[in-house]
Amino acid sequence: MKKAYSFILVSVLLIAVVAAGCIGGGGETTSPTPTTVTTTKIETQTTVKTETKVQTETKVQEKVFIRFAGWSAGETEMKNYQRIIGEFEQKYPNIGVKYEVIPQMFHENILASFGAGVAPDVFYVDSSWAPIFIDKGALYPISDLADKSFIDQFYPFLLKPFMKDGKLYGLPKDWSMLALFYNKKLFEQAGLTRPPQTWEELEEYAKIIADKTGKPGLAIYLGGFNRYVPVAVSNGAPKPWFEKPEDASWFDNPVVKETLTWYINLYKKGKIEREQQGKTPYVVQPSDVGAGWLGDAFGQQQVAMVISGNWMIPFLADQFPDFKYGEDWDIAPVPAGKKGRVTMAYTVILGINAKTQHPQEAWKFVEFVLGPYGQKELVVKAGHTLPSIKGFENDPDMWPQHKKTLSFKYDQMIVFLWGPKSGVLEGKFSDAMASAMRGEITVDEAIEVMKQIVQEELSS
Amino acid sequence: MFSKFSSFYEKGRNKEIVAGLSLISVAVILNLVFGYFAMIFAFYLSFFKWDYIGQMQFVGLKNFEIVIRDLIRGFHGAPYLLSPFYTGLKNILIYTAIVVPIQTFLAVVLAAFANQKIRGQQFFKVSYFLPATTSSVIVALIFIWLFMKNGFINYALAHIIPGFQPIDWINDRNYLLLAIAMVAIWGTSGHFMVSFLAAMQAIPREIYEAAMLDGAGPIRRFFFITIPMLRPMIVYVVVMGLIGALQMFDLAWVMAGANGGPGGAGYTVALDIYNEAFTRIRPGVAAAKSWFLFAIIFTTTYLFQKKYGRAMR
Repeated sequence: MKKAYSFILVSVLLIAVVAAGCIGGGGETTSPTPTTVTTTKIETQTTVKTETKVQTETKVQEKVFIRFAGWSAGETEMKNYQRIIGEFEQKYPNIGVKYEVIPQMFHENILASFGAGVAPDVFYVDSSWAPIFIDKGALYPISDLADKSFIDQFYPFLLKPFMKDGKLYGLPKDWSMLALFYNKKLFEQAGLTRPPQTWEELEEYAKIIADKTGKPGLAIYLGGFNRYVPVAVSNGAPKPWFEKPEDASWFDNPVVKETLTWYINLYKKGKIEREQQGKTPYVVQPSDVGAGWLGDAFGQQQVAMVISGNWMIPFLADQFPDFKYGEDWDIAPVPAGKKGRVTMAYTVILGINAKTQHPQEAWKFVEFVLGPYGQKELVVKAGHTLPSIKGFENDPDMWPQHKKTLSFKYDQMIVFLWGPKSGVLEGKFSDAMASAMRGEITVDEAIEVMKQIVQEELSS
Repeated sequence: MFSKFSSFYEKGRNKEIVAGLSLISVAVILNLVFGYFAMIFAFYLSFFKWDYIGQMQFVGLKNFEIVIRDLIRGFHGAPYLLSPFYTGLKNILIYTAIVVPIQTFLAVVLAAFANQKIRGQQFFKVSYFLPATTSSVIVALIFIWLFMKNGFINYALAHIIPGFQPIDWINDRNYLLLAIAMVAIWGTSGHFMVSFLAAMQAIPREIYEAAMLDGAGPIRRFFFITIPMLRPMIVYVVVMGLIGALQMFDLAWVMAGANGGPGGAGYTVALDIYNEAFTRIRPGVAAAKSWFLFAIIFTTTYLFQKKYGRAMR
């Protein structure tokens, strides 16, 4: 009897030990390590006799670690972030930053990490996903941490997507806008002298280039609702906004229908029908020419035109150094529609986790990265994208390509955000559009599907 | 206390018990945490609406209702984007119907060949089994390359079949699922071959010798001795194959993409569960869907075992 008792006891103990080993051990990164910080204070008093008092104080301060998660637009960006983190840690020796790169499904990963209770302290949030994070209280209101003067440095239109009830939940790390990138040599070969000015001209040019050079004129993504929106709005459609099920009526607007048909047919006519006729396609998607994305297709000089954002510029400089800006390729504004010229702006904030244990330290980091020094190093000099704080427009370090995109005049600039569920809607819309572009469903069916998606996603 | 423990530990038999228990406890605990706890939590989750950040909200059977509505809508012929679960289910049933019989048949045939005493047989055994040791993601990536429109498979087919028109396997909704099924068959039949080989080698030689004395040729011996004697193993392989095929995720994820590729032709239930949980952020619905999948797998394998699974001897 006694034997059996101790046997059970031992096995329970064993299991408990192993279980503790499995469960514990996760929280190491945030455990504070004490470091010694020496501060030297020099006080000078000028009274009757000048006396200099040197006071040396040594105190033990706890080192705090914060976790910072972002996606990566390439290795160069990762290296630059690592460098700026190193500089930050030197300036604030009591704060350590752990940089985590999540390459795919970034926002989904962050949401899941909230579910598991291990969300990073600072993380990227795209404007299209911001409402979900803000509504659920996942973001720390930045307006509680930052001075007004600091916030005032930023372009106001970039802050709008991150505001709710008078509070600001994030400051953009940078921004980009769509522009037309065109290959000058292919244009020359096709006998074209200037970039296309209207959407119709864009298609026409693409056709001319394909016929004369044997290379597709334009590459687009299958789907990509956000790439279609400027076409619709520049032709007179209202800006899309989906907040309640009834907002699905946006798709009933005749301009929306007409432009969506045109956009979807670009690929159907430009690729599928052209190949059936045995001719060179004039509109392709990147994978049709063996490229991973638009930047890759353009850099490989497989296509003459793409509409893409500023993030493409450092990629081209990095990956295709022989393909030179100015000589070989140039930037032009996005083509205009019947009611003006419209482009899309994309922006990403460094959000602070509302549940972080170290909001002050996280803020110090965000302030450092987003402040004038951080943006000068990370954005302006490295040429990643466009700085989100004002005053760099004429900076000598700003890459000429970015300067040029900033100089374009647009009637409207739409920030990537179509209501509280933009991120989810964007994905579903793009699936429906891609399906129609491949010719699996008609444009009307695609519109019907998109309307139903709006009703379903926003009804609960 | 400690002396008691050490005296307990001194006894040889107890030492073995402690060692044995501590070794299996790792597996048991992992299974409890990642298997049973996950299952129970999924069941709990299926009654809640949650977005990972906020509070969980009890919604009763609403998540199951969403799944059933999806199925009904699919039956009525809605486009695949509006009835993802139905699409995934339809695809996965077709896929299972293709993969499981072929892979089982191929595994038996390969095992029968591998069981012959011919020189160099070891080489074939290894090469059949090799796909099972390779990561399915790598396998899928290699096959994407082979299945390309001007890839090797079309090239080979064009040489074998006169007048063959190259097929865009990956980008054609009519061929995508077939391409995935072919990769799955290629990857798993070698694995199951080993199971069959083991079972074949356990068949007593005397039976074959008796049959040979009675004048049975190799083909008759195969069909009248080997296959019946393998029945328990066939049941095992089919059940494992069914479970694997119905849960297929990795090949579809790589070859078709998260959205199932053209026309949703490569969409599977497992992909849908993933998308529901992490793209649409409805973990409750994802949990409900995974319980549906569990019910389907459970009933199919249960019925199959009940019908064929009775022990022979």
